[in-house]
Amino acid sequence: MWLEVVLIIIVFLSVAILGNSRLKTIIQLFALQSVVLSTTPLLIYPSFHAIIIAIVIAILKGVLMPVLLFWAIRHVSIRREVQPLIGYATTLLLGGVLIGVAFLISSKLDLPDKGISNLLVPCAFSVIMIGFLLLVSRFKAITQIIGYLVMENGIFLFALLLLEKTPLLVEMGILLDIFVGVLVMGIVVNHINQEFGSASTINLINLRE
Amino acid sequence: MVFTVYFCFPSVFVNLEDGLDKMGIPVLLHLGVVLVLSPLLLGIIGKTKACLTGRIGAPLLQPYYDIGKLFRKGNVYSTTTTWIFQAAPIVCLAAVLVSSLLMPLGGLKAPIVFWGDILLFAGLYGLARFAMVLAALDTGSSFEGMGASREATFSCLTEVVLFLDFIILSCVSKKIVLSEMVQGNALTSWHLAGPALILMGVSYFLVLLAENARIPVDDPATHLELTMVHEVMVLDHSGWDLAYILYGSAIKLFVLGSLLVNILIPSYHLSPFMQTMMFSGGMFVLSFGIGVVESCMARLRLNRIPQLLIGAFVLALVGVLVVLLKGA
Amino acid sequence: MVLLSTAFVHLMTMAAFWSGPHNTQFNPFLGFDALSQLVLTITSVLFFIIAIYLCGFLKEKGRSNNVLIACLLCLLSSMTLVALSRHMGLLWIAIEATALLCAPLINYYRTPQGIEATWKYLLISSLGIAFSLLGTLFLAVSATTLKTVFLPDILNNAVFLSPSWLKLSIIFLLVGYGTKMGLAPMHTWKPDAYGEAPGPMGALMSGAISSVVFLAVFRVCQITFHAHLQAFISPVLILLGILSLGLAAIFIMNQKDFNRMLAYSSIEHMGILVLGIGLGGGAVWASIFHLINNAFAKGLIFLVAGNLFQVFHTKKIADIQGVMHKLPLTGAFLIVGFIVLSGFPPFGIFYSELLILKQALVTHQYMAVFFYCLFLAVIFFGFSKVILNMALGTPSEHVAKSTKKDDFLMTMPLVILTVILLGTGVFVWASLYHFIDEASMLLGG
Repeated sequence: MWLEVVLIIIVFLSVAILGNSRLKTIIQLFALQSVVLSTTPLLIYPSFHAIIIAIVIAILKGVLMPVLLFWAIRHVSIRREVQPLIGYATTLLLGGVLIGVAFLISSKLDLPDKGISNLLVPCAFSVIMIGFLLLVSRFKAITQIIGYLVMENGIFLFALLLLEKTPLLVEMGILLDIFVGVLVMGIVVNHINQEFGSASTINLINLRE
Repeated sequence: MVFTVYFCFPSVFVNLEDGLDKMGIPVLLHLGVVLVLSPLLLGIIGKTKACLTGRIGAPLLQPYYDIGKLFRKGNVYSTTTTWIFQAAPIVCLAAVLVSSLLMPLGGLKAPIVFWGDILLFAGLYGLARFAMVLAALDTGSSFEGMGASREATFSCLTEVVLFLDFIILSCVSKKIVLSEMVQGNALTSWHLAGPALILMGVSYFLVLLAENARIPVDDPATHLELTMVHEVMVLDHSGWDLAYILYGSAIKLFVLGSLLVNILIPSYHLSPFMQTMMFSGGMFVLSFGIGVVESCMARLRLNRIPQLLIGAFVLALVGVLVVLLKGA
Repeated sequence: MVLLSTAFVHLMTMAAFWSGPHNTQFNPFLGFDALSQLVLTITSVLFFIIAIYLCGFLKEKGRSNNVLIACLLCLLSSMTLVALSRHMGLLWIAIEATALLCAPLINYYRTPQGIEATWKYLLISSLGIAFSLLGTLFLAVSATTLKTVFLPDILNNAVFLSPSWLKLSIIFLLVGYGTKMGLAPMHTWKPDAYGEAPGPMGALMSGAISSVVFLAVFRVCQITFHAHLQAFISPVLILLGILSLGLAAIFIMNQKDFNRMLAYSSIEHMGILVLGIGLGGGAVWASIFHLINNAFAKGLIFLVAGNLFQVFHTKKIADIQGVMHKLPLTGAFLIVGFIVLSGFPPFGIFYSELLILKQALVTHQYMAVFFYCLFLAVIFFGFSKVILNMALGTPSEHVAKSTKKDDFLMTMPLVILTVILLGTGVFVWASLYHFIDEASMLLGG
């Protein structure tokens, strides 16, 4: 039961990120989501392998990445998001529709392992879709990065199905890659900010055709 | 006039039972508890806000004094109003009181129970809101009209969320009777449907804040008419009309809050005394919680409130999906 | 310099492997097979040549290039890892690493357009790679009975994988790795990224990294082939190929920027590669042959572009005139590069395009044939118009006055590349032939 509660909290937090407009709150909500996410391996397969992964995720995604992102926007004066591509209300409704689609798709797929909760795959898909929606519909660079990271959180949830079969090396490699990715993105956001004076990607429209 | 009206309403439904006497005592007891205890909630909220902002604030029983003061005053009626303006507060109070009869409070069973009474429950609040909106429009003033339109818009969204929450509850407890839905909520159903109930709880809490004109939807302490939603609708009422409205809003908070408390504190396997204790404790914690939320946030901009309510809608929708997934 | 020596060592190691038997395995995670050995050779040769070029290129700038060199070295190692990995998860990690390490290379000139290109590249390729991670996970789910995603195990047991999950995973993997490769409709980052990156970086990206990502796509197709799902995947591949060709044809027509035009040419060649795999049979051989030639040809022409930018300081086609007068050697290689890329005989690309055409006719894909010929003709037309304008004519005054000449270090690589192209295209060695045969056998060619 606790696993399902945790999964629902993760989905709830991703919906909260979707509806929020302040950069600082979005980063904090993501940190909270990552910390909650790090408890999931322990709930499924309590083992040494799982403890390591939990600790690494909590530190990497819950502490280091938010610190990195805060560093990247330290010079940004406007800490609020501009109006997203389709407006907040429509984004939230679309998020709800996508969650419904995720539940529908996962009820059609036959899962190999019914031992773990019924709710894992739908929640994973819904978090992936909400992350994708965030990435696509927002203008500020930081929110796009957070959208990508939420998507990665969702993919990790899905990977929990296979936890005992994946070698530790591969898991660590994946996490390291994501971390380096965020590092590079943070640096680029910093450059964007220096060049254009704001961390919004509205200005990045000059290259055409 | 007041007393006749609100004894009429229950009698419509007791023709199914045998005799007014059998129903009379539990109804009176229920109504008495609600009437006595509901302004206390407002007092606790006010005291919490004061303590959190470093003030001593008004005494705990201040709402009682306010209502008593208003009863002793006379009414002033504008010449543009009609009988609707005078009838609306009465209809509002009566509807809210009848809805309280449908809700079990702790150890106290609901006097009126029939199949599908959640629809009546929601409909009564709709009736109360309708009466208030009519009265506001009746005054012919633009301030009240503005408040009425805002109220109507927000209620479109809150009604949807409320019904979705009821759907979640009835799927979990397999009943469509309010008392049984709430009663059937023992610890086992938390075990089975924990996530759905959490989502329902969160979205219902947002609905509670919206319906009862609490921050972040509406600031009850503001004096700027253009920022009000509920307060501005009742600008022209005075005397005992205003007392009815104030009482009505207190009872509404009490009844809607007791639904939340009943769900969150599954105590139906305990003795009635323990149930009452836990219920009172839960109501206290709820009002304390509302006070904390009010102190920590500011009111949202008006165009952000529909977004908040749509967020609550999405949460309730996810809850419905989770329940369907579990059931299917 | 450090770069040069590392590249040299890498090249020598690769040469050593050629002499040994094929299909060596080091440990369960790493190992060669015929195609990966080929790709790795291409990569290391190209890297070596670009390292020579960079010695001349970096002399011009006055700032410290430590970050750049570090990135390039890490890029080399991650490309090696892609070629060596026998585990799908490791493959993903290596490809993500290459994608991330390319990003600092694009913004070499620190212009606003460079930042824009870098951001678009980062975001789109991260998204694509996230999709391919999901695809890898689906693959692992479909293989739950096997409990592994090591490539040899999957290939041997492909028929036992659960088909719905397998199909889903193949789609996601194709979309993800196709984004990195630059197939339409996921190609939008390519024109910007290649357009803004300096010449040698563009050469590296379009020559080496494209080959390496093609290897990943090839692995996906290997799994499909062994699971007997060709009928499912070949229409998709053919569609992607034709779409890429069509898009490249449309956008090459009115191009104003030289590097962007080269980017569209890269999209076109990736489309041809995927088309070849989709058609199956002899076209697979043709795709691999095309891969080799394309990598070196792209290297050649991007290095030429780098030379042009150094002298003319502009990427706009209208401003680059009279290359033959100003930089005779570079101009000659510009024409050579154009001839190779647009598929003129006797170079190899002509041969591989012809083979793909033949396979398409054999398998009665007449629509594909029609569009293929049409788009290739359009691209040839657009290309030739631009290049001939650039090569002939007279240079503008301020360019004619500048004393820049063909630098030795920046033109020798061009010579080497042309020699290699002649070797791989015109006079193909027998051992190379055998190698390609073996590689295409992996996919039933």
